[in-house]
Amino acid sequence: MGRKLIPEFILRSIEDPLCTIVYVSFVSFIVFPIAYTIGTALFTGVGNNSLADNLQLINKSTFLLLAKSCSIAFFIALLSTLLGGALGFLLYKTNTFFSGFFKIALLIPLFISPYILAVAWKDLFYLCFGNTDPLFSHLGVILVLTTIFTPLSMLIIGSALSNINAQLEEAGLLMTGYRSVIFKITLPLIKPALLTSLVLVFIFSISEFSVPVFFGIKVFTTEIFTQFSAFYNHSLAILQSVLLIFLCLFLLLSERKLITDAPFLSVSGKGMRTKLFSIKCWQGLSGLMLFGWFFISVLLPFLVLFIQSFQGGTVKFIQAFELLKPTFSNSIGLALSGALITVFIGFIAAYSAEIKNRKSIIWLLLFVFAIPSTIFGICLIKFYNQPLLDFIYSEYAIILIGYTGKFSFISAKLIGNAIKQIPNSLDEAAQLTGIGHYRRIQTILIPLIMPALFAAFVINFIFCLGELGTTIMLYPPGTEIMPIKVFTIMANAPQSLTSSMTLIVFSVTLLIITALYPIFKHYSYVNH
Amino acid sequence: MSIIKLSNITHSYGDKRVLQQLSLNIEANQLTCLLGGSGSGKTTILRLIAGLEIPQSGGITIANEQVTENRQIIIPPHQRNLGFIFQDLALWPHFTVYKNIAFGLTERKEQKVKESVYKMLDFFRLQEYAEKYPHQLSGGQQQLVAISRSLVLKPKILLMDEPLANLDVKLKRKTLDHIKNLKQNFDLTIVYVTHDHKEAFAIADNIVVLNEGKIQETGDVQQIKNSDNEFVKYFIEY
Repeated sequence: MGRKLIPEFILRSIEDPLCTIVYVSFVSFIVFPIAYTIGTALFTGVGNNSLADNLQLINKSTFLLLAKSCSIAFFIALLSTLLGGALGFLLYKTNTFFSGFFKIALLIPLFISPYILAVAWKDLFYLCFGNTDPLFSHLGVILVLTTIFTPLSMLIIGSALSNINAQLEEAGLLMTGYRSVIFKITLPLIKPALLTSLVLVFIFSISEFSVPVFFGIKVFTTEIFTQFSAFYNHSLAILQSVLLIFLCLFLLLSERKLITDAPFLSVSGKGMRTKLFSIKCWQGLSGLMLFGWFFISVLLPFLVLFIQSFQGGTVKFIQAFELLKPTFSNSIGLALSGALITVFIGFIAAYSAEIKNRKSIIWLLLFVFAIPSTIFGICLIKFYNQPLLDFIYSEYAIILIGYTGKFSFISAKLIGNAIKQIPNSLDEAAQLTGIGHYRRIQTILIPLIMPALFAAFVINFIFCLGELGTTIMLYPPGTEIMPIKVFTIMANAPQSLTSSMTLIVFSVTLLIITALYPIFKHYSYVNH
Repeated sequence: MSIIKLSNITHSYGDKRVLQQLSLNIEANQLTCLLGGSGSGKTTILRLIAGLEIPQSGGITIANEQVTENRQIIIPPHQRNLGFIFQDLALWPHFTVYKNIAFGLTERKEQKVKESVYKMLDFFRLQEYAEKYPHQLSGGQQQLVAISRSLVLKPKILLMDEPLANLDVKLKRKTLDHIKNLKQNFDLTIVYVTHDHKEAFAIADNIVVLNEGKIQETGDVQQIKNSDNEFVKYFIEY
C-alpha cells in the first residue's frame, strides 16, 4: 500500500543505490557538460553573439564540407562492410585453413591508434614509390581508415554469423543447395549486422580526426579543431559540433534497436552451434585471400615501419625512446585507471539493462559514445574551464572523464552480451536457496562473466592508451602523454624518428597485451 | 522392407565416440522410435540419415540408394527426399508462415506453389496465420508450421528430433495424435527420436532402444515392454 505513495523511480533508486550513484555521476560529470555546451550554443548563443548571429556563421561552405566528410565516411563504411563481411564469412562460416589465427591476427589494426597506421602507410609509399603524394589525398584517408575499420565490420558480421542457429541453415540445406541457403537464409538473417556495421563505421569515420589531419585533408572534425584551437572561433566550432552531433544521433536513432541489441563485441558464443560450410577445394584460395589481407593490413605496414625506423640507425631509436620515456608511466597509469573505471561503469550499466531492465543508462553511454572525440573534448573544455572546476580541468581527472565518456559503452556492450548468455535459472536457483542480492552478484554473476570483464578491461586499456581526438583537446599543459607526444613531434621530425616512435608505441601496446593475455586465457571459461 | 539401412556406423564428436559400429534397418511406412537417454546417440543417427553429419566409417542407404559411404556424401541432404523436424523447430524468423512453407518449393522451382502451401495450411488449419511470423504463433502452431514445411515437399521419410520437447502435456497429446495420423495421410516412414518411453509406447510401430551409442533392443511396443535386457528394463521402469 505504502509503496504506491512513493514514485516508482525513487523506490528503484533506493533498491539499487550503487546503480543510482553511477547513474548520477555519469550524468553530472559527462552528460550534463555536453548538454550544457550544446544547450548554451543553441538557446543563448556563444560568447557575445546571439543564436541568430551564430547561425549566420553556418553557411554553404559548412554544408559542402559536411557533405564531403559524409561521402568519405560513406565510402569507408561501404568498403569496410563489404571487406569485413567477406572476411567474416570465410572465418566464421567456412572450414578455411588457420581460421583461429586469422580471427585474432586480422583484428590487430583495430587496436592500434589510427595515426600509427597512417605513418606506416606513408613510410610504405615512400619506400616503394619514393613519393607519398598519392596518400595525402582523400584516397589516403579512405585507404588507411578502411584497413582500420574492416576488422570492426568483420567482428560485427562474424559475431552475427556465428550467432545463427545452425538448424536454420540445415533446414534450408535439406531443401536446396549451399548457394541458395547462403543468399536466401544466411544473408537475410545477418542484415541487421550489416546495417550496424555500415552505421557504426560511418560514425567512426566521420568522427576520425588524426588520419585526416595527418594527411592534410580538411574534413569536418579537422575544421572544428582548427576553428577552436587555431582561430579561437569557439562559436563556429560549437555550432559545427552541434551539427555533427545531430547527424550522428540521427543515424544512431534510426538504427537504435539494431545497435543496442547487436551482438558485436561478444566474447563467446558458448552453447551456440554454428553451421560451417565446407569449401573443400576452395580452402587454399580462401586461405590465400585471408593471408593477402593480413599481409596488406598488418604485415606490410609494420614491416615498413620497422625498416624505416632502423634506417636512422640506433641513434634515432634511442632518441625516440628518450623522447617517449617520460610519457610511459603517465600514459600507462591513465590507461589502466581509465580501463578500470569504464569496466566498473560498463558492468553497472549492463547489469541495470539486462537484469533490472533499466536501459536508460545504456542510452546515455551510447549517446556520449556517438559524439566525435574532438567535439566531446570541446564540450568538456567549455564546461570545466572555470575557476570553480579547476581542480578537475588542470589535472589528469579531465582526461579520465574523457576516457570514461568515450569507452564505457564498449565495456557495457561486452559485459551485457555476456550477462545475456547466462540462463536466469542460475540466479533463480541461488535465490531459492536464500542467497541475498549482492552475494548472488558476487558468487554467481561475476565469476560467470569474468572473461567478458577481463576482455572489456584489455580492450578499453588499449583504446585509452591510444586515444588522441579527445586527449589532444583536454591534456593539461605540462603533462606528457604518449599519443600526444608522437603526434606533436610528427609534423617536424625526420621520417625515421617518427617511425621509431610509432614502433615503440606499438611495441608497448603489444607488450602489455601479451602480458595480459595469459590472465585472459586463465579466466576463459575455466570456471564454467 | 527396409527403407533406411545403416551399416557399421562409427561416429565421434572430437574425442567423444557417440556411435560404435552401429547397424540398423528401418522399415518402410512404419513409425520407428529411437528411444534413449541423453548422449545415447539417437539425434546423431537422425543427423547422419539426413546427411547433416558424415559418419567416420560405415555406410547408409536410403531406398536402396547408397547416400553415404567412406566418409563421403554421395547424395546431398536436399536430394534424399526426407523431411526433418528439429527439436527447436528451426523456423526461419525472417520469413512468414507462408514463406517458411513455400521456401523449399520455390527453391525447387515446383509448379503450383501457392496451391500446395494452402493445401498444407488448410490441412493443419493454419490459413489465418499465413502472413504471420513464427514469433507471433503459439508453440503448438509453430510445431504444425514446422511439420507443414517438411511435408509440403512430399518426402518419403520424416525425421523428428524430440518434436514435443517444448510442449505442455495437453498439447503433447494433441500433437501425438497428429503425428500418428501423418503416417497414413502422407504415406510416410517416420523416424522419431525421444527420451520419453511413454511417448514412444503411445505412437511407435517399432522401437529401437539405445544406450551409449549401441543398440540395446529392437522390437514392437510389446517386445520392448517384455524385454529381458537389464538396461531396457531399467530405462522403461522410470
